[in-house]
Amino acid sequence: MRRASPIRSPQDAGAGVFLIALAALSLWQTADLALGTLRAFGPGMLPRALAVLLGSAGLGLIVMSFIKEGSALERWSVRGPFFILGSILLFSLTIRSVGLVVAGPLTMLVGAYASPEFRFKESAIFAVILTTACIILFNVILRLPIPILRGF
Amino acid sequence: MKFLAKLAFAAAALAAGSASAQTYPNKPITMIVPFAAGGPTDVIARIVGENMSRTLGQQIVIENVAGAGGTTGTTRASTSANDGYTVMMGHMGTHGAAPALYPNLKYDPTKDFEPIGLAAGTPILIVAKKNFPAADLKAFVEYVKANGDKVNQAHAGVGSVSHSTGILLTSQIGTKTTQVPYTGTGPALNDLISGQVDILTDQIVNVAEQIRAGTIRAYAIATPARSPALPDIPTTKEAGLPGYEVSAWNAMFAAKGTSKDIVAKLNEALVKALDDETTKKRLLDLGAVLPSGEERTSAWLGTFVAKEVERWNPVLKASK
Amino acid sequence: MEALVANLSLGFSTALSLNNIGLCFIGCLVGTLIGVLPGVGPIATIAMLLPITFGIDPTGALIMLAGIYYGAQYGGSTTAILVNIPGEATSVVTVLDGHAMAKQGRAGVALGISAIGSFFAGCVATLVIAALGLPLTRLAQLFGPAEYFALMVMGLVFAMVLARGSLLKAFAMIVLGLVLSTIGTDLETGEERLTFGIQDLSDGLDFAVLAMGVFGFAEIIRNLENPEARDVVRGTIGRLLPNWSDLKQSAAPILRGTALGSILGILPGNGAVLGPFASYSVEKKLAKDPSRFGRGAIEGVAGPEAANNAGAQTAFIPLLTLGIPPNAVMALMVGAMTIHGIIPGPQVMTKNPQLFWGMIASMWVGNLMLLVINLPLVGLWVRLLKVPYRLLFPAILLFCCIGIYSINNSVEQVAFTAFFGLFGYALIKFGFEPAPMLLGFVLGKLMEEKLRQALILSRGSFATFVDRPISLGLLVVSVVLIVIALLPAISKSRDEVFTE
Repeated sequence: MRRASPIRSPQDAGAGVFLIALAALSLWQTADLALGTLRAFGPGMLPRALAVLLGSAGLGLIVMSFIKEGSALERWSVRGPFFILGSILLFSLTIRSVGLVVAGPLTMLVGAYASPEFRFKESAIFAVILTTACIILFNVILRLPIPILRGF
Repeated sequence: MKFLAKLAFAAAALAAGSASAQTYPNKPITMIVPFAAGGPTDVIARIVGENMSRTLGQQIVIENVAGAGGTTGTTRASTSANDGYTVMMGHMGTHGAAPALYPNLKYDPTKDFEPIGLAAGTPILIVAKKNFPAADLKAFVEYVKANGDKVNQAHAGVGSVSHSTGILLTSQIGTKTTQVPYTGTGPALNDLISGQVDILTDQIVNVAEQIRAGTIRAYAIATPARSPALPDIPTTKEAGLPGYEVSAWNAMFAAKGTSKDIVAKLNEALVKALDDETTKKRLLDLGAVLPSGEERTSAWLGTFVAKEVERWNPVLKASK
Repeated sequence: MEALVANLSLGFSTALSLNNIGLCFIGCLVGTLIGVLPGVGPIATIAMLLPITFGIDPTGALIMLAGIYYGAQYGGSTTAILVNIPGEATSVVTVLDGHAMAKQGRAGVALGISAIGSFFAGCVATLVIAALGLPLTRLAQLFGPAEYFALMVMGLVFAMVLARGSLLKAFAMIVLGLVLSTIGTDLETGEERLTFGIQDLSDGLDFAVLAMGVFGFAEIIRNLENPEARDVVRGTIGRLLPNWSDLKQSAAPILRGTALGSILGILPGNGAVLGPFASYSVEKKLAKDPSRFGRGAIEGVAGPEAANNAGAQTAFIPLLTLGIPPNAVMALMVGAMTIHGIIPGPQVMTKNPQLFWGMIASMWVGNLMLLVINLPLVGLWVRLLKVPYRLLFPAILLFCCIGIYSINNSVEQVAFTAFFGLFGYALIKFGFEPAPMLLGFVLGKLMEEKLRQALILSRGSFATFVDRPISLGLLVVSVVLIVIALLPAISKSRDEVFTE
């Protein structure tokens, strides 16, 4: 199947494209920073030089992907990343505005849904227990200024 | 579950009755310190806050929000609820130098805060590596003036106290040195001790012990009077650079619109802390200068901040 | 020598008072606890516990805070081994072979050897501080920006050696780490770089945000994808403690790691982070079969763990003898000392001998306590792996979120971590190893700072790096290391190209 394509290592080719994209992003973001001279660096010198180096590494990977046999591109799953990252974002949205009492169970329940083995009742009980434990641990014992519950 | 419900109930009850000044404070107060824990401002905030907690009967919780020369935390304080439950410990940089250094500053030190009161100032010292070729401040000024950019002047990063006060020094001497930036006082001091860099201006608490041990050399202290912590070091006025008087002051602020009664209550607690023997001793041990008389009022702090902003603006803008 | 004995006996008489033993125990216990919790670092905890120490005498307070610090360093390794999350820069390397060992059902052995190695390193480092503290300080003073830069270059060479698989990919990861390290405010001009206008990025990315994202969250996502991989972890538990052959295999790495860690720990500017990396590279180079590394080689845990703990301890030298904090935690210790009216400086030793020697003696006591606290806990930690993953991972998620939030009380940081979780997932999908990226990131900040300082001081002359003997020496070592590292790799990859 893969023989049909001249690319012998699709994973490396993808990796190369990824690196070049990152390099382009940093070059674009640092475009208006002064480079300075080799003797007196400006703010833009190192980031731009490194971005060029990163891009070249990406190019190298693409070239190698035509020469060297390698792995195929892996499939990206959706459910895992979506619910895991979503739950973290929910935490960041609720921790200051509402507090840990809400943010804790919310994060754990939404996060737990990322697993196909999710069972609501079990996760809910566990979430409540753990949030309580966290409040005791972080606020009472370690005295970190984490909001527990803010105004409603 | 029961515990959680109780907790939620208690928190709700606390939140409901927060507005009135008579009952203030009836829950812990958050004091934002816009710097990392352990630095001079943080130490002063913790010492003062500890005593104020006892006076107010509620804990003052220190929240360190570091970043961008203190402006990240200060921005947060300026936009926080003005109910008196969030206050901040600002300093010379955040409420004096910042407008000149950060063109996109999201707050105005003179307009977005209710000044509570000055907490403590820490004097600035002019120091150099121990074999710096100048016997006294006059010779120091001459040497720096004559050698200009041959002199390596360290500072702890753009926006730091050593950066602003260092620029003020060279602008008064009338020259430009080579600025060597460090990330923090520690590394800068390390390279001063080992003689990699030549001169530095910094707060007394950071340099006093090194001066006493003779690892670096002090030329003058930039206060009107000598410090009891370092009685041998002359003031800038005595040593021949009278215009250079500067201190890294720390003061408490609340968000704009915080009620006058609450500000008065906080000012009262602050003043009481400054009069407390243990607290006072702790601050004086750091080499801090405590405000007296009129300097302790909220109104005085308001006019002082305006003057500081005026003072730093031309000096720092000219250096860019 | 007599003076040393006298000083140490003064130290032990201070440290062994009932009060101070108690405080040391509390410190070590709290430290282990926060170290094990991913993300909650010693900085936030020490900062919050400062006011509690108001009522304690300064020596006791510092003994407790120091206990939190090395307890946390130690506890961080537990998390690295069990759930593949490096809590601190110094435990990045432990993740590589430590977690691989856990996957083979040897979690107990990994934890055990890390406890034993740390204890040994801690004992030696305590002696080093007591006997050689002063002369070593002078050595550290020889390190200016140019020497420092050369040292960082050497660190990057170590990072290349760390690489498993494609050298080009490892190189790309190091460079990527360096690019990420330039995010934030420019040192000289104060201009913002690569911050995308986000204020929370103006001081750069936090190490924990990056590490938690690319290791912690990305790992969780990957584990959910292929349940087989993680089931291995909880499938078998195996022996709880290392046996005689494990110990014999680890003895030399522990000795070497201790030496490397002790020396690098003294250097101002967080030289301690280099210790574990250096140790890992050395062990991999010395090993008869380097391919075992990254697949659960016990030397890859024993050496770096010893180096980690030795460095954590000798990092106290610049603070105690000069009053200069080499890293953020030590800066906080300075704060703790000033709050108690002791201004750290060269004179602490003569002015407060009881505090000085008491603290040093307490380090040894603390190490013993860590061993006593942790060896029995190994069983408990390993049993933790028996918790079904569907329950375990949401808990890790919550702990990480709280930990990240507590660093700077910022919700933006938490959101960034989610972003880097996705980023890390992409890296995995493209077959990249994140460890060299983290090292590039850690070294990058220091490297740019020191490079630019050196060039400012030399007025733009690169000759400064070869004119100065220490810097020249370090650069020569780096070149030699590169050659040794590259030669077999180049010839090997050529073989592969042609055999296929």
